[in-house]
Amino acid sequence: MWLPILGLAVGIFLGLLTDIRIPAEYADYLSIAILAALDTLFGGIRAYLQNVYDEKIFISGFFFNIALAASLAFLGVHIGVDLYLAAVFAFGVRLFQNIAVIRRILLTKWSTNREKKEKS
Amino acid sequence: MKKKKKGSHVILSLVFLILGFMLAFSYHLTQNENNSTNITTSQWERDMGLRNQLVQLEEKNRDLQSELFAKQQKLVEIEKKLAEEEQAYFNLAEEAEKYRIFLGKVKVKGPGVVITLEDGQYDPYGDHINNYLVHEHHIFMVINELNVAGAAAVTVNGQRLSHNSYIVCNGPVIEIDGNQHPAPFEIAAIGDPEVLTAALNLPGGVRDILVNENIEFKMEKRNEIFVNPILGLED
Repeated sequence: MWLPILGLAVGIFLGLLTDIRIPAEYADYLSIAILAALDTLFGGIRAYLQNVYDEKIFISGFFFNIALAASLAFLGVHIGVDLYLAAVFAFGVRLFQNIAVIRRILLTKWSTNREKKEKS
Repeated sequence: MKKKKKGSHVILSLVFLILGFMLAFSYHLTQNENNSTNITTSQWERDMGLRNQLVQLEEKNRDLQSELFAKQQKLVEIEKKLAEEEQAYFNLAEEAEKYRIFLGKVKVKGPGVVITLEDGQYDPYGDHINNYLVHEHHIFMVINELNVAGAAAVTVNGQRLSHNSYIVCNGPVIEIDGNQHPAPFEIAAIGDPEVLTAALNLPGGVRDILVNENIEFKMEKRNEIFVNPILGLED
């Protein structure tokens, strides 16, 4: 259980330590990739809570979404269409939806637990 | 089942590692970017300030340059005027020098001629002895001729003549400004020797007249003759 948290801490540590300069136009790709990663993460949490969690789907989705978002933004920059907006929009909407579903599931779980406790 | 769960944990931790790295890196990057933009803004302001300063300095420079040109122009004019004045003063000084020489106030040195007048050999069977002596009018003739020919200073037996000198006949001697001089008379004149000799040697001129009047006339050119100033305050 502590291994993922440790991984997160190490990742943050490494990210703060690295002093690599990347050009300003590539910073957009990075933010899109972060958005994709967050979306996948919350999607995975929701799937876990809904008992439809599949590790393969989660892992593949995580990397594939990141790559797709970045390449979409790249393509958009090069053909002059703001395609990264599509990625931002899609991931943003899904992010909020996922978080809403997670909240609802947690709320129902919490209330059923309380009812159970009161009954017993 | 348990093994599989552990494997999933490892993969999940890898996912979290990447996520954390990306988050932190992006955060770091954004921070840097903000900093750098701040720096560039301040740099830009500094740049602008310096440029304004430069422009001001250049303007000032141009003004000063034009002022300098104007001043130089003025200076040239003043110098020209000064040179003219100097020329005038120089001419005046030259003239003053010339007049001083005429007045006998300064020492004069230069080329010239020396003329010696001596009484002729007396022929007892001939005319009166007066016809063989050097008289003051002979000296007058020589001196006048020399002065006319442009002599700067004239001396007779070493006594300098000035503008108001007098020469009188005083028996066997002549008296110049109160000093008596016997024959022979040595008249020295400073001036262009060629001109002076030519003036005296004119056919029918001074030399011919003097020789006709039985006076021994000797003339020699000198490269350098010294004439002392006349002492005293008489004017």
